[in-house]
Amino acid sequence: MTTAPHAADNAEVTEVDTSARCALLLLLAFAVLWLVVSGVLALVNLVQLHTPALLADCSLLTYGRTHALQETAFIYGWAANAGLAVALWILARLGGSPLRSLNWVMAGTVFWNLAIALGLVGIATGDGTSNAWLHLPRYVLPMMLVAYGTIAVPGVLAWSGRRHETAFAAQWYGVAALFLFPWIFSLAQVMLVFVPERGVLQALVAGWFVQGAWTLWLAPLALTAAYYLVPKLSGRTITSYEFAALSFWTLLFVGAWTGGRHLIGGPVPAWIPTIAVVSCALLLFHYIVVALNLRAAFSGGGSTVMKFMALGLGAYVLGGFIDAATALRSVAAFSQFTYFSTAQTQLALTGAFSMLLYGAIYFLAPRITGQPWPSVVLIRAHYAAALTGTVGLVIALAGAGWIQGHDLRDPLVSFAAIAAHVRPWLLIATAAQAILLFGNLLLAAHLVRLIAAKSAAPAAGLFRPAPAMEAPAS
Amino acid sequence: MSDQDPIDPRLEQAGASDESLLTAHEKLRGWKADDGANYRMLPLVLLFAFSGLIFYAGIYLNKYSVRYSPSAFDENAPANTGAGPAVKVDPLVLGKKNFESVCATCHQATGLGVPGIYPPLAGSEWVSGSNERLIRIVLYGLKGPVKVKGVEYGAAAMPVFGKVAGSGYNWSDEKIAATLTYVRASFGNTSPAITADQVTAIRTKEGDRKEWSQEELLKLP
Repeated sequence: MTTAPHAADNAEVTEVDTSARCALLLLLAFAVLWLVVSGVLALVNLVQLHTPALLADCSLLTYGRTHALQETAFIYGWAANAGLAVALWILARLGGSPLRSLNWVMAGTVFWNLAIALGLVGIATGDGTSNAWLHLPRYVLPMMLVAYGTIAVPGVLAWSGRRHETAFAAQWYGVAALFLFPWIFSLAQVMLVFVPERGVLQALVAGWFVQGAWTLWLAPLALTAAYYLVPKLSGRTITSYEFAALSFWTLLFVGAWTGGRHLIGGPVPAWIPTIAVVSCALLLFHYIVVALNLRAAFSGGGSTVMKFMALGLGAYVLGGFIDAATALRSVAAFSQFTYFSTAQTQLALTGAFSMLLYGAIYFLAPRITGQPWPSVVLIRAHYAAALTGTVGLVIALAGAGWIQGHDLRDPLVSFAAIAAHVRPWLLIATAAQAILLFGNLLLAAHLVRLIAAKSAAPAAGLFRPAPAMEAPAS
Repeated sequence: MSDQDPIDPRLEQAGASDESLLTAHEKLRGWKADDGANYRMLPLVLLFAFSGLIFYAGIYLNKYSVRYSPSAFDENAPANTGAGPAVKVDPLVLGKKNFESVCATCHQATGLGVPGIYPPLAGSEWVSGSNERLIRIVLYGLKGPVKVKGVEYGAAAMPVFGKVAGSGYNWSDEKIAATLTYVRASFGNTSPAITADQVTAIRTKEGDRKEWSQEELLKLP
């Protein structure tokens, strides 16, 4: 550990953090609020799967609507708010100057979340659409696009005005995510909601949008956090960093082409799923390099943030390999259109994305509020709940999906028999979802306590001056 | 990360400053000469892994894309190689095409010929008469005067069309049969079709020879 030459360079908390306090805390508060709302709805939704009578008479919360509601609250509520907060913060810190036009960020945040609240009410009352990941009613979509712009622009400005000309990997992923979402989102709005495409093309656009929103928006946002925090915490440079750029471009070029994997076995020309199968295989290169680059996360140590990183990265890479395996047509014959696909989505969203973002929030919040989290127990309990909940949910849904896939191929097994076969697995999934919800309630309560607490010590005194990063081994 | 004091999860300390993180990774970018020839295994392994994936992707794409056909919904459908059964050609269509590109130059598209120079085909006794004579005229050509519908023609010669010595056209027997069938069914003519076998039979019987004259032809049945 060497002593840094002068204080300005290695001060851990600077004006970059303090100036962004209000804007980022607003984003995070909304994020955690929607996370809890989505958790409650997801729990209701899972119970309805094995106990269909629950709320069956309440038109606002029938199975189809709770499904759309929990998905929307998770993606546009939790993932978007949290991902934007973390990406803005990391881009500002690596850019070296405080974020600009923060009032616009706060205004945009209010309008974005107003739109989501309005959208959720709209879905519950029957205005929603039938598009996966885009259930929001048409009247909130343009407002969301504008609000997103006002939130994201300061992040792009922080990147374009950066002090170091050579951008770091975390910056690539962050800026790519900020830039690509408006493109994907506006195209999907036009082609699926306002001027819907007809026939095969509609299914194609829907598949492309779901995959694009993951590989070109949510995954890069989560990787922004991972590529920043792993070297930042370990104090060591990224291993095999020279491949990071190739891995990044592989994701950008090949990622959206994997959209057709949602259509394997569906009524589309054969070459479209074939391209997706091939793209899933090529994307393995991206996952291999991410695992190599960030393998320091798996080397243990006492850091809780690093444990979240390890879980998230493990889920991310595993998810990539499972996507490639289930894209093979012989496997897809069993897994496609079953609970197994749901398990894959959960592995990506609650396994990879949420874990990486939890870690980032635990690292970020003390720096912008200028005080430590109030409780060690709450952090450890949240970690334990997130770990058991995610593992339980993904394994239970995968098990249910595999049984369902085998049963569906046997014409002698009735639908009622299939429902009975998967029921135990769905009960496990419900329990796991309850544990996840419990963990997220802990996070929410903890964040409220952190924001409410009065600052005891000046922020600068809390953080040790960060040491200089070890020179890369030649 | 310090080893001496335990990490407080409430306040995780950074292991490196942002500034040094950026500078350290800046140094890692770019090409470094491998002076000592210490080949590192990892880049080679990754290169092979990526090449392998691309190779697999190429094979899979070639095997299951069904030539990117918009109407092929089964990836195992055999690709159309063009090796299917030959399509039967309508002699009237082929004959019309041949007539219009070649014969019509002299005999005209109407089949009426040019008075005094090219004899007509419409209503000609040579066309609707004996197969033996008609096929021979087209296969080997006709030289000298010829009387058609009571009018004497002699200014021009009928060229050699068949696959025989001295032929300028080298038309196959099928082509000749189709053209004659067309001529015998057009311009008001209503004579039966001529088959390629009939043409082949005469060509094999006669072998190579010079153009026919009217006298020689009239001796034939």
